Amino acid sequence: MATNSRILRASLDRRTMLKAATGAAAGFSAWGVPGKSYQRTLAQDDTLAQILAIPGAGGQPTEADMERVGELCLRSDKQGAFTGQTVTFIGLNNAGFHNNIFRPLTRAWEEYTGATIQWIDVPQAEIFSRVQQGVATGEIEFDVLEGGAPWEGDILGRGLAGAMPDWVKEQIDIDDYVRLLQAPVGTWDGVTYRISIDGDCHNFNYRSDVFASPELAAEWSASGGEGDWSVPTSWQQVQAQTQFLNGKQIDGSDIYGYLDVVKPGGGFSWYFFASRASAYAKHPDSPAWLFDPDDMAPYVNNEAFVRALQDMIDVIGVEPPDQLNADLLVTLGQILGGTGAMTAWWGDVGSNVYTSDQSVVQDKMSFSILPGSPDVYNNESGAWDTVGDGQLNFAPNEAYIGWGLYVMQEAEARGVSEAAWDLAAHLGGRDLSMWTAIYPSGFQPYRNSHFELQYWVDAGYPPEFAEAYLASESDSYNHPNGAIEPRIPGIFDYYIAAEEEVALAVAGEKTAQEALDSAAARWEEITDRNDRESQISLYQAALGM
Amino acid sequence: MSETALQPTYSAPASPAAGWHGLVRMAARGMTLIVAAVVVMQVLRTVGAIELGFTSWQPVAIVVLLWFVVVDAAVYLTGGLKGQRLLFLLPALQITLSLVIFPTVFGLAVAFTQWDIGGISGPVFNGLDNFRYMATDERFWNALGNNFKYVLVAVPFQYVVAFAIALLLNQSIRGQKFFRVAFLLPFMISPVAVGWMIGRSILDANRGVVPKLLASIGIERVSFFDQPVPAFLGIVAMDSWISIPFMMVMLLAGLQALPTEVFEAAQIDGASGWKRFWDITFPLMLPVSITAVILRVIFEFKLVDVVRVVTAGGPGGATDTLSLFIYREGVESGNVGYATAMAMVFLVIVLVSVTALLVFLNRRVRDVVY
Repeated sequence: MATNSRILRASLDRRTMLKAATGAAAGFSAWGVPGKSYQRTLAQDDTLAQILAIPGAGGQPTEADMERVGELCLRSDKQGAFTGQTVTFIGLNNAGFHNNIFRPLTRAWEEYTGATIQWIDVPQAEIFSRVQQGVATGEIEFDVLEGGAPWEGDILGRGLAGAMPDWVKEQIDIDDYVRLLQAPVGTWDGVTYRISIDGDCHNFNYRSDVFASPELAAEWSASGGEGDWSVPTSWQQVQAQTQFLNGKQIDGSDIYGYLDVVKPGGGFSWYFFASRASAYAKHPDSPAWLFDPDDMAPYVNNEAFVRALQDMIDVIGVEPPDQLNADLLVTLGQILGGTGAMTAWWGDVGSNVYTSDQSVVQDKMSFSILPGSPDVYNNESGAWDTVGDGQLNFAPNEAYIGWGLYVMQEAEARGVSEAAWDLAAHLGGRDLSMWTAIYPSGFQPYRNSHFELQYWVDAGYPPEFAEAYLASESDSYNHPNGAIEPRIPGIFDYYIAAEEEVALAVAGEKTAQEALDSAAARWEEITDRNDRESQISLYQAALGM
Repeated sequence: MSETALQPTYSAPASPAAGWHGLVRMAARGMTLIVAAVVVMQVLRTVGAIELGFTSWQPVAIVVLLWFVVVDAAVYLTGGLKGQRLLFLLPALQITLSLVIFPTVFGLAVAFTQWDIGGISGPVFNGLDNFRYMATDERFWNALGNNFKYVLVAVPFQYVVAFAIALLLNQSIRGQKFFRVAFLLPFMISPVAVGWMIGRSILDANRGVVPKLLASIGIERVSFFDQPVPAFLGIVAMDSWISIPFMMVMLLAGLQALPTEVFEAAQIDGASGWKRFWDITFPLMLPVSITAVILRVIFEFKLVDVVRVVTAGGPGGATDTLSLFIYREGVESGNVGYATAMAMVFLVIVLVSVTALLVFLNRRVRDVVY
């Protein structure tokens, strides 16, 4: 609390000064641009009230909207301090997300500080390998990296990023992060490196109208469906309902059941398989679910993962045509476009339902944590443990642990370190993050303050929708049996190998067991390539063992 | 015209002082020694034999560039007329050395290492392990097999269609220029764009125009890319759409260069249109055809872009190509040593295949023409 008060005082001091400068802008070039004045707000609530109304739920933000948000959220006090400096930023080029929104959101920062940002846009499936190449060849040409927590073994473990200055910690209010994003995430050997700009977990996104449909409920009963027609809480129900929905319609349109992501995508398709597997594979008694922490023997070909893969194989034929070639963005489009009734995805579904032009599912979506399983595989005993009493084992997939910004050591050598941190702090600022959580950005809630329902309601979200969405996110982040991602070097190499084998099995080229045996063999090779002993210790550290 | 008149009048540069000559030569030799030392040092550092060296190859590249300049200058200044002539050749040789020969040799060295680009150890010599692994890697054999399937299915199809179009466009038809340009258009479009426009948009199972049209006439849930054979043929179709114009242009140029007298004589002798094509046009076009086919075979072996955009090699590896697999293994998975080994083997396979095809076709040409 004391820290917050200090931040507020410091901010007010700066803001008072900035306000005076803004007033004088009519007479002289107060911000480096003659005649340009910046409308900043004096208190955080004012800022939030203003930015959350831009453009308001029901409308997709325009570039001008984002420029305005970036201007209102500007907290830098480095006026003109970086004139002539160029900060190189590498990030994703996903349409409408990431770098595409960073550009307008940072325009005011550029004008105010005098710095120029050089953007390197990379497809999501390629960014990890692009960064790896830079690391391996010693040619790190970027100052700020938009990277995932899973890469921290590769980036922080090699000392490639710069430590976060204290003033940045204060400016971004780092204590506001949800527990999942607190140390050790973003840190290495106790030093903080990362500005989080995203949370990330997979939640369960479903069509509320489908599961409230009396016609479908009647058909379900008539077809001998087990139990009531309701939102599934177990993967067994997901399977049965997906089979049932084959050939069904709602409101005159075809509706499919669960949507899988199978097409290999630089490691990112792994998460969709992992979300199907986590309830089977993540035992509450052990944090390890991907490898044996003692020797890094892969678990990926155990009965739990094989069962999850068999689930995928069993329903791929009743999913939309060509689902084999659907990547993660296609599937996002499918769920927003009303094609599917259920899918596991990151929180972007929720923030796009009311704010994306692509969406036709307004008032038809709701959310929960990922489905569970009545039994869970125990790697110690090599047998299935039944939860019993009608209970289920839930294990939300804490997929990716979110995007973050890392300022590279090279920024120091190039003399742009302070500018790079100032830019990163702007993009990872508390107010700006509230806006990116609520509107389409590629980022989901990751601060405790993001879970204030009122902000979402003020932005125009229906309270019931926002409540379900936030609960699904919060309950996933804070779940005691969350399936944690290991931050070990080469983690995406493991994922790429596994997703390739999963795709082969779903396409019918291999059985589930054959495919995952191949994946396990490849995982063993990757572990050896990365030094098994080192991987063991890093994996144990990542699991808090 | 006399031979003397054709001979360019070279004038040797003014003879510099002998000492100056020696200085330049010494600088060039010194620079050569420095370059050799730097390259050896950096190679040893890269394979982990020594600690000394640069953290990246960039300084080495700069030293080599400087060496090229010094050597070129030395050759020009001290080589007299011969040096001047050599200067026309040297830059091309140096570019070939630095952009073709060195990377190939370096790649060969990398092929014998275990090198995970994300790994801590860097490249480590592992003998023939990559090649042994390759021999048992079903993904490698699947992709290589697909490459040959693409060559065997796509190239003959493209050749036949391209020849037919070239024959049509070689006729005096109305709008001939328009059609020539129109048929060339697909070749001008990026294969990535074609993949998106056709594979991922028009033919997309959920949003595409074609599946929707088919659905409107009762053919529901059509998917072009979720079964191995249709997906393979779909890729062949898109690749052909892009590539046929290339073949067509080559064949059309060949047709236009054919002597008209032979055809006029055949027509006077009463030869039918088919007879004129099969006995005159086709044999005379064989040299051009061989060139077009060989080039297409090489391009087909390198097929990547359309496959990557539309199916990423799926379903189940049915459309995968070796180039795409090498890319995935080397760039996405960071398994540089193994990917390079595959690339080297692929290079040999392509060289052998194309050479064998060339020999075979040349023999056939001799049989047919002579």
